[in-house]
Amino acid sequence: MIRKETLESAVFDAIRRGTTILPEDVKSAFERAICKETSKTARFGLEKTLESMNLSKQRDNLLCADTGWPIFYVKVGEECVVEGGFTEIEKIIKEQVAKATHAGYLRKTMKHPLTGADPGNNIGMNIPGITYKLVKGNELEIAYVAKGGGSECFGGTRHRMVAFADGIAGIKKCVIENFIAASKAGAICPPSVLGIGIGGTANMAANLAKEAACLRTVGSHHPETDIRNLEIELCEAINELGVGILGAGGKVSVLAVNIEYAYTHIAGIAVAMSSNCMVARRGANLIKADNTIIPLKAPNWFDREEN
Amino acid sequence: MATYYLNIPLKEEDVTKLKIGDIVYVSGDVFTGRSRLQKYVFDEKNQLGFSIENKNVFIHVGPVIVKENGEWDMKSFMPTSSIRFEKWGAKSVQQWDLRMIIGKTTMGQETMNAMQKYKCVHVSPQAVSPNLWLDSLTIQDVHLFEELGSIEASWQLKADKLGPFVVDIDCYGNNLFDGVTEKVEENKRKVFEKIGIPADFSYTKLY
Repeated sequence: MIRKETLESAVFDAIRRGTTILPEDVKSAFERAICKETSKTARFGLEKTLESMNLSKQRDNLLCADTGWPIFYVKVGEECVVEGGFTEIEKIIKEQVAKATHAGYLRKTMKHPLTGADPGNNIGMNIPGITYKLVKGNELEIAYVAKGGGSECFGGTRHRMVAFADGIAGIKKCVIENFIAASKAGAICPPSVLGIGIGGTANMAANLAKEAACLRTVGSHHPETDIRNLEIELCEAINELGVGILGAGGKVSVLAVNIEYAYTHIAGIAVAMSSNCMVARRGANLIKADNTIIPLKAPNWFDREEN
Repeated sequence: MATYYLNIPLKEEDVTKLKIGDIVYVSGDVFTGRSRLQKYVFDEKNQLGFSIENKNVFIHVGPVIVKENGEWDMKSFMPTSSIRFEKWGAKSVQQWDLRMIIGKTTMGQETMNAMQKYKCVHVSPQAVSPNLWLDSLTIQDVHLFEELGSIEASWQLKADKLGPFVVDIDCYGNNLFDGVTEKVEENKRKVFEKIGIPADFSYTKLY
C-alpha cells in the first residue's frame, strides 16, 4: 500500500525539483541552442538564461518568478493501493501545493477569476489541475508541471479547425502562423517547447498539445514516422523564421516541436498549439508499491519508447 | 549598439540618447507594480500613498518575496509582460513622471505616444535570468502589501547595476519588435515555399 507520507514527500519533491532544477533534457536542448545560435545578442541571452538556471539548483530558488498554473499528471497502476483511497491523491496534492507556496517554491499566483480574491496558497476551484491516467501495474507516477503565464496567456495556447480538404498544408500553415502570432515581442518566452495536438475534439487536441509541450522529453520524437517527420519539418521551418530568444530576433525560436495526435471526425481536424516557455519546468516521481520514491528525469506519461 | 550604466533619478538626456538595441544597466531607487496597483490608483482613484520622488524607473514585476526570521527574502525576480498593462501605460508615464519602464514584451501605441511626449523608454531583459538580478537588488520597503498582496504590492528596491536590459521602445516612437516582425513575415514566405504551402493557399471556411 502506498502510504500518505510517501505521497506527500513525492508530491512536494516533484514541485520543489520542478520549480528549481532545470530538467536535463531541457538543459541539453539549451546547450544545443547556444551552439546553433548565430545572433550574438541572442546567444548572450541564452547563455545568461542558462547561467541563471544553473544557479537556481545551487541556491535552491526559482528558475523563473512566474511558477504558473500548477498542474499535475498522475499515472495510476490499476493494482495500486493508496492509503485512504484514490481521492487522497487530490487531497495530498492540494496540501503540498499550499505547503510549497508557503515555502516560496510557488508564487502566490492563482486568483478567483471574477473577484480577483487571492487564497494565498494557489488552491481554489479546479486548481491545481489534475489529470489521471489508468495503466497496468502497481506503481504511481506523479508529474508536476509549472505552466507559465506568458506562454499560456499570449496566444500560446490556441486551436483551429482545419478541413480535410486543406490537408497537411493547412495543418502546417496553422502551426506556423499561430506560433508567429503568439511569439511577437517574445510574449510566450521563446525559444519555446511547442506542443501540437492534432485530431479529436477541440478540447482533446488542446489537451494533447499541452501534454506534448509539457510532458515529452525534449529532443525525443513520436514513434510513428509520419508524425516524427512532421515534428522535424516544423521545428526546422520555425527555426528559419528569425523570432529568437524573447522575440528580439535570432536563429533559435523553438527548442522542440512535439506532436501528439488522435483520430478525428471526417468533418474536420482540430489543430491545437500549446507552447511551453524556454524554462520548461516539470518534476516527476515514481512511487513503487514498496513506497520507494524514484525521481524521474522525465515523466513516462506516454508509456512508449521514444526515439 | 552602445552600453550605458545609468543612475536614478534618470535625467531627460539619459534617455533621449538611447537608441533601439542599446543595452542599459540602472542603479538607484526603483519601484515595482503590476495591474492591480495601476487599477487601484487609476481606476479606483486611490492615492499611491508613498513618495516616488526621484524614483522615475517603474518595473513591471511580481517578485517572489517571503518573510524569513522577520526579514524579507527575495526568492525570484523576473520582469513581466508589459503589454497587459497597456490600459494604464500612458497614465503611468505621465502621472508618475517615468523615464523608464522595465518590463517584458512591448507596449501599445497609446503608451508609446506618451513615452515620446514625456521622454520615457521601455527596456526588456534579453534573458530569463532571475538569479543574475537578485544579486543587484536590495529590498527597502513595501507599500500596499495588505491591500494588494505580496505579488502586486509596490516593492521599493535599491538597484545596483541592474541589467542588462535592451531598449525596445525609445522616446522617438521606435519599437524593436516592429523590425523583427517585418523580417519574420519575409522569412515566412520563404519557409512556406520550402515546406509546400502554396502562396495562394486559403483555408476552407468551416464557420
